[in-house]
Amino acid sequence: MVDALHLLQAAADTTGAYRDFPLIGSRAAVWIAAEIHLMFAAFVLGVPIFAVVAEAIGVFGKDQRYDRLAKEFTRLLLIAYSATALWGATFTFLLATLYPKFFAYLLSIFAPSIWVYGAIFFFESFTLYLYYYGWDRWKYGRAKIVHWCLGILLNIWGTIVMFIADSWLTYMMTPPRDITPETSPASIKIWHAILNHTWMPINIHRLIGNVVFGGAIVGAYASYRFLASRTDEERAHYDWMGYVGNFIAMSALIVLPFAGYWLGREIYQYDQSLGITMMGGFMSWLWVIQAFLIAVLFLAGNYYLWVGMGRIPGAERYRPYTKWLLVVLVLGALVWGTPHTMIADSRELAAMGGSHHPLLGALGVMSAKNTAVNLMILATFLSFLLYRRANIRQVVPWAKTGTRIQAAMFVIAAAIVLFFGIRGYFVEAIVRIGYSVYQVGAVLACIIFVTLIDVLMARGAQSLGAIQWGKMPPRSQYALFILAVTFTWLMGLMGFARSGIRQHWHVYGVLQDTTPYAATPALGYAAIMISTCVLIFLSLVGFIFWLGGLAEKSTFVPSTVEAPHVGH
Amino acid sequence: MWATNLRIIGVVLGTLALYTLIANKIPQVQSDVPRALTLGANVTPEQLVSAGDQLYHGAGGCTACHGLGTRAPNLLTDEKGQGPIGARCGKREAGKDCKAYLHESLANPRAYVVPSYEPIMPEMGRILSPQQLWALVAFLESNGGTVDVSASDIPAASAASGANSGAAGAPTAPGIAGGSTDPMTIIRGAGCTGCHKINGEGGAIGPDLNHVGSRLSANLIRESILNPDAKIAKGFEKFKGIMPKTFGNQLTAAQLEALVQFLASHK
Repeated sequence: MVDALHLLQAAADTTGAYRDFPLIGSRAAVWIAAEIHLMFAAFVLGVPIFAVVAEAIGVFGKDQRYDRLAKEFTRLLLIAYSATALWGATFTFLLATLYPKFFAYLLSIFAPSIWVYGAIFFFESFTLYLYYYGWDRWKYGRAKIVHWCLGILLNIWGTIVMFIADSWLTYMMTPPRDITPETSPASIKIWHAILNHTWMPINIHRLIGNVVFGGAIVGAYASYRFLASRTDEERAHYDWMGYVGNFIAMSALIVLPFAGYWLGREIYQYDQSLGITMMGGFMSWLWVIQAFLIAVLFLAGNYYLWVGMGRIPGAERYRPYTKWLLVVLVLGALVWGTPHTMIADSRELAAMGGSHHPLLGALGVMSAKNTAVNLMILATFLSFLLYRRANIRQVVPWAKTGTRIQAAMFVIAAAIVLFFGIRGYFVEAIVRIGYSVYQVGAVLACIIFVTLIDVLMARGAQSLGAIQWGKMPPRSQYALFILAVTFTWLMGLMGFARSGIRQHWHVYGVLQDTTPYAATPALGYAAIMISTCVLIFLSLVGFIFWLGGLAEKSTFVPSTVEAPHVGH
Repeated sequence: MWATNLRIIGVVLGTLALYTLIANKIPQVQSDVPRALTLGANVTPEQLVSAGDQLYHGAGGCTACHGLGTRAPNLLTDEKGQGPIGARCGKREAGKDCKAYLHESLANPRAYVVPSYEPIMPEMGRILSPQQLWALVAFLESNGGTVDVSASDIPAASAASGANSGAAGAPTAPGIAGGSTDPMTIIRGAGCTGCHKINGEGGAIGPDLNHVGSRLSANLIRESILNPDAKIAKGFEKFKGIMPKTFGNQLTAAQLEALVQFLASHK
């Protein structure tokens, strides 16, 4: 009788708590579905941002090529949109069936936001259809402005959808402090749950990250079409498109770390142990891998620009500088990737002879790393500047003075970065943290003012010859593929970091994960999962882009007008 | 065009393989779920120290800061000429002996912060059980000092002692392994690995459980746990009667079901 009661109680207690997924397990199944959904979502949220900007350049700058480019971006969007919805549905079904009690917990707090999410998804879909299919109908005059506003509306819907989804995942990471395991989910006010510590930092970080990601995928698409092109005109169009995609990705990438710092600070402020787990705990090696990936991004991005200078008359003047830029980038990457605070037991510490490696410990500290990354950003910006002014000769009377001021700004910015980098070794940690603000400020100020001067100096500039779009060696296009793969992999890695710091909690400190998969895996396993997701995603992207190519001819228009640099 | 496609596939696969390889070559650190401790009334100082040692170097996450010299005081080695933590803990706060000070440092780390360090330590009571906190105290005391943590300090051990002595109203511990529903914690806590082998642990007195799910249904596994003599596995007849028949009373309902599902999935 007692045994029978035990069995009945067991059934009542655990039925529906968890189910397992065949072969790969429930964690891997949800991981794959969530990650691929997120990759498609990032693409369909990032592309409309620069599609609408490109359309605006087309409308207000009266340059048809940008308008056609915006349309081609949107065509990619249309096809990727259904894949996003399919993977989103798969993810939801898996979560509801494999983790039903946890899913029910989230529903009991966030149900109204899920209804709003669904409704806005409808609005977003129909706005997208109107935006794309109305492109050629609302082409002129006031109708074109209305069409452009549809693009803005599309971005607004997309941003709201993302903000809602972000509230669910950030609640899991940083639930408000007054919520405990004993708190009934039905008693939690939805706005209280949404307005948690990391909601807005994640929103901003993802907004920028989506632009980076969208730019990289568009760049890879353009490079594929470039390699497949049969005519010079088509090759020229996709060369230009690849350049624009890369420009967008790299420009947004430079801003992304600042949003990342904000997110990291909020995580530390919420709970020191979360921050320590992320930066110095079992995830400490993850940041060495991240440094390696970002080094690849910097090197591949710069390489693409340097090779691209081969198709610009006049660029040979700047070729001698590239090897020095390469030296700065490689040295910076080596310093940035130097490990510092690794999780180590007392035996490993004894073997190392102290808390840090005697040689590498000096380079692995924050002062050295901040200095390295800021110099890498300056070097990349200089690469872009040389590319930008490669085929022009400034004619304004103050051109020489302007160039000297620009050079002085670079030198001053680099000196400020180095000064605070070295001084950081001799001050307390709390003072040292503040120095990074001065370093970043110097670099940003240099970028803004040098660009401003350059734009003013380029007024009425004499052309040394048109950029020979399409005259690009194929190896440069493979750099764009490496960029796309690396951006995608990096997104998967950072997603693992964000989600993994919760460790064995569904909702940190509130709802524990009691499945056999509760332990947070090591980086090796995570890397296999990330690579699997990236491979599935890129295969699907390749397939749907190929389908898109079957359905419609490319939207490129042969033009006799020279395509300008971005920013000209 | 096929050559181009193959080159693109090669670049993509090569890049993915490189990143995966590097991530697998670096030290692999997994974040384990903290194991629940079951400390009986007769727990010895050596058992406490051993459990604390495992927590300190593992799930407790202590080495992320302690021992690195900059974030938090070194505990196992000398700190500013004062010796390891066991030698200095009794002199930190006036009126607090070593045991009380160390327990306060874990449960309420901001009550006293060692000068020149930031108040960054989380309240370990949110992460670890009371038994685990006391095991850590014993381990820290053992580094340069004398271990004076005893079973009477530990709530669950005291409770178990009361229950065993038949004291009226004494609360009973919530199942084996502190009520944890982590199957491997239950298996270790219940002593299954004393006889059965699973996931590379355990002996060979009872049937190997690594593929038990392919031999027995979930219902039969449940029956074997609750009434082990009802059906004896072939080749193990001579061991009939050895396996305790008390698990139906010791395990909570949730533990029993978690264990059954876990074993049934081992095919």
